[in-house]
Amino acid sequence: MDVKIRVATKGDCKDISRLIMDLAVHDKMSDQVKLSCDELQRDGFSQNPLFECLVAEIADENKSKEGFTIIGYALYFYIYCTWKGRSMYLEDLYVMPEFRDWNIFCLMSLLMSSSGFGIGKSLLSNIAQVAKEKQCARLHLIVLNWNSHSLDFYTARGAQDLTVKEGWHLVHFDGQSLDHLANETQQIRKCVSGEDKVV
Amino acid sequence: MFVVAELLEDGFGETPFYHCIIAEVPGGDASQDSKVVGFAMYYFTYDPWVGKQLYMEEFYVMDDFRGLGIGSEILRRLSDLAVKTRCTGMMFVVAENNEVSIQYYKRRGAEDLSQEEGWRLYRFDKSSLVKMATPTEE
Repeated sequence: MDVKIRVATKGDCKDISRLIMDLAVHDKMSDQVKLSCDELQRDGFSQNPLFECLVAEIADENKSKEGFTIIGYALYFYIYCTWKGRSMYLEDLYVMPEFRDWNIFCLMSLLMSSSGFGIGKSLLSNIAQVAKEKQCARLHLIVLNWNSHSLDFYTARGAQDLTVKEGWHLVHFDGQSLDHLANETQQIRKCVSGEDKVV
Repeated sequence: MFVVAELLEDGFGETPFYHCIIAEVPGGDASQDSKVVGFAMYYFTYDPWVGKQLYMEEFYVMDDFRGLGIGSEILRRLSDLAVKTRCTGMMFVVAENNEVSIQYYKRRGAEDLSQEEGWRLYRFDKSSLVKMATPTEE
């Protein structure tokens, strides 16, 4: 089956939104999805996009059970590492389950040929190509600790688990905690010639 | 090796890849320039579930100037900026053995997503990226 990996357009937003929700369901966090398709379109396809996206597209004759031809995506943006410079962050990489190489029919060929996740692999290769062209020093991403397929997928391609290896934890302020932080009344103690003053 | 010139171009060139706020104190006397004693480096990221985020890449106050509220003020300014620029959250990483920092953030309402939800940070370095990249067609 031929799969085309291409840059997403505004017209793909409805499909990307659908796949974002699919991924959230897979991660068992679908209640955390609050963004609408319109907001996604505004954020990704306006003059100053906050992210870029690649989609995996198949021919109509191979469409999914529900009739979809956009069957995978990779959403990413640029970050900055103070030690290495411009880098990339892969926020989402997802292929619809029915198009993964993980069913009984494929399992035998998988055991013989080690072909792995064909479409996911293509998406990741294309991401790496973009990173290379944009002179990115690193590619970062996060994976859930129970998602052994994804952990193995990335590790097999050279990724290092910095949480396990170096102890890095991802920390987050949001909603109310962010508002409280913004409104915290601060007093900076000013030390002038040995005299303590509250500014 | 990554050099100051690259840091300068990357942050203050035509297309900045990051932004910075600094904390400075006045010089000892009128003839001395002010001194930078703390800073935070940040940029904007994206969570497709909730939208724009502010990512704090670096946050540091010199040892001699800690305990004065400078770090808290930097954090307050960043979070204020996050709210004003339509960010729904602020994210960063902390080393798990840095108990002081972890407690500092948790007291202010931060959540450790690695501990609470099981997220692990992964990284591909340049050589792995080059190996994975789609070869150019001849």
